[in-house]
Amino acid sequence: MKKFFLTATVLLFLLGCILVYQNIAYNDKKLHIIICDVGQGDAILIRTPQGSDILIDGGPDDSVLNCLGKHLPFWDKDLELVMLSHPHADHFTGLFSVLRNYEIRSFVSEDLINKTAGFNALIDRIKTQKIPIRFVFAEDRFILKGNIVLKIVGPTQEFVHQTSPGGAIGESNELGSLESFLVYENFSMLFTGDSQVLELQEALEFIDANISVFQVPHHGSKFGLTSEILDILNPKMAVISVGKNNKYGHPTTFILDLLKSKNIKIFRTDEVGDIEIVSDGKSFFVRN
Amino acid sequence: MNFRMFLVLFVILGFRFYFFYSNQPNFASGQEISFETTILSQPQIIGSQQSFTANYEARKIKIITSRFLEINYGSYLRISGKISNQSDRVLMYFPKVESINGSLNFFQLGLQKMVKFAQKLTSLFSETLPSPSSSLLLGIIFGIKEQMPKDFSDNLKASGVFHVIAASGMNVALVGGFISTFFTFFFKRQIAIFFSILGIIFYAILAGLEPSIIRASIMGVLVFSAQILGRQTLAVNCLFLAGFGMLLADPSLISDIGFQLSFLSTLGILYVKPILEKKPIISSEILTTIAAQIATLPVLLVNFGTYSLFSILVNGLVLWTVPILMMFGGAGAILGLIFMPLGQLLVYLCYPLLLYFEAVVNFFGKIGGIISIKTFPWQFAAGYYCLLVCVLLIFKKEK
Repeated sequence: MKKFFLTATVLLFLLGCILVYQNIAYNDKKLHIIICDVGQGDAILIRTPQGSDILIDGGPDDSVLNCLGKHLPFWDKDLELVMLSHPHADHFTGLFSVLRNYEIRSFVSEDLINKTAGFNALIDRIKTQKIPIRFVFAEDRFILKGNIVLKIVGPTQEFVHQTSPGGAIGESNELGSLESFLVYENFSMLFTGDSQVLELQEALEFIDANISVFQVPHHGSKFGLTSEILDILNPKMAVISVGKNNKYGHPTTFILDLLKSKNIKIFRTDEVGDIEIVSDGKSFFVRN
Repeated sequence: MNFRMFLVLFVILGFRFYFFYSNQPNFASGQEISFETTILSQPQIIGSQQSFTANYEARKIKIITSRFLEINYGSYLRISGKISNQSDRVLMYFPKVESINGSLNFFQLGLQKMVKFAQKLTSLFSETLPSPSSSLLLGIIFGIKEQMPKDFSDNLKASGVFHVIAASGMNVALVGGFISTFFTFFFKRQIAIFFSILGIIFYAILAGLEPSIIRASIMGVLVFSAQILGRQTLAVNCLFLAGFGMLLADPSLISDIGFQLSFLSTLGILYVKPILEKKPIISSEILTTIAAQIATLPVLLVNFGTYSLFSILVNGLVLWTVPILMMFGGAGAILGLIFMPLGQLLVYLCYPLLLYFEAVVNFFGKIGGIISIKTFPWQFAAGYYCLLVCVLLIFKKEK
């Protein structure tokens, strides 16, 4: 018994040290955006200066948990908002593990379903855990503490109805994917999911030009971007969430050349792993 | 053990083997079958698929299906589809899998209740700690590997401590030990031992009925029973009795790697470790590792073709944390059912040790140091064991 309490005291002391250290490291009153290295898929964690956590997509497998574990303090086991850009397996499969390991306060997605067993299972799980579900369209916005706004910039309701009349997602041209735009004073970042040129063009009217960071749509697929769109956005930096040696040939040389021709710095998850962008609202930097 | 007794058991086992293998059904590729079975271990999830083993007329069939089907340890399923043979394994790819909920017998209902309880018990870890700490603790205490991130389990393999997250004899001994120490405070020794036996059985069902856990539990129960009966414990007899019972129930276990490793490593700890202990320069935990490795090396090489160079060092660095983690984590899981914040506090106390464990494993996992041997001939293995037995006999004579 004496030994038990002695061990407990030592462990408590160590735990205290970790608590102090992680509180300094993670609650630094800065905005952190992490493009998680989840292979071929998407998972993006946003941690606001006030410590609210937003997860956009969950990636194709459990690896999103490692990213969350690494970039959140150990006691932080809730996510204020989880947003699913569109119901494809490489974006939602990891959410099963997130649902098991984290308390999710609210779930947001576009108003599209996918008839696969996987997506149905996901919605069932979210409903049994009594997590509120909301569907959003362009012009909806989330105003967060600390002067941060997350605007939905696409797709519009009309776009969803036109491209997917049945209300269900397909695999190619009827693809609609949530696009969102985060603004924190002088810093801004555009999240694009798997959206394609048509949808991105429509979204431009809701986006302020000269953005800080741009997430290249659809893992660098050639159908995601044109030179004109890139000129209007004029980002300082681009990030691509993509898996090593994926079977689709992402990112395409077309997209890489396009970005290079405009001297935009590129960060890829298949090359550097998790990409962490840190901003105080004035400037930003990348930490690997 | 009495030699004549041994011979009788051996003959019985021989008959069992003969009838088992001569009556075993043979499957043709493409053959359609349909059967009902209870799943006796947690399905393994890889990417968008999950796989598990199903028993069909004394054959083990590996089933591969979508990860989105809700299949758990204890589920009672009807499986129908086509067989496909691959080398010496029988597989079924994406058969029709339906879960049957009505008309369950007492055993099946009990198992499902236990699994529900285990899920409640273990959910505290995943809700309290971040990954991979939570899955490491789950692995150490309950041998649950299903939630382990792939890169971390690769590092565990590369650094030679993967066995830590497989529930085994060490866990069973610790569970029995904790319970008997705890209850001796309040009751007579016999009653405490009785509770230990109950605890071991309960733990075995919670941890999943894998060969290593069953072997260790039977041994644990025998050892503790012998204590109640006041007989001197003869671990070797218990080991052979456990092995005998298991093979009698399921002869196909003889080709199960988990069973072989579990049996041999225990033999190693019983026979090789005492010799190593004659010159005690290193701690007992490391000697246990070395003894187990000496006894299992050929089996590991034949089956996996790899050996981790740093495994003894890494084991020495991390094994001392296992009893502490089991004590605090296990107590946390149980107290968490009654009062969650207290359970969480105990689980949090594990966190510093888990971070240390992860740091060591990731460091050595990245260095690598794996020797890989493409083909290891069985003749070498046979020769190795002959030599090992000789060495053991020589040392026995010296004594």
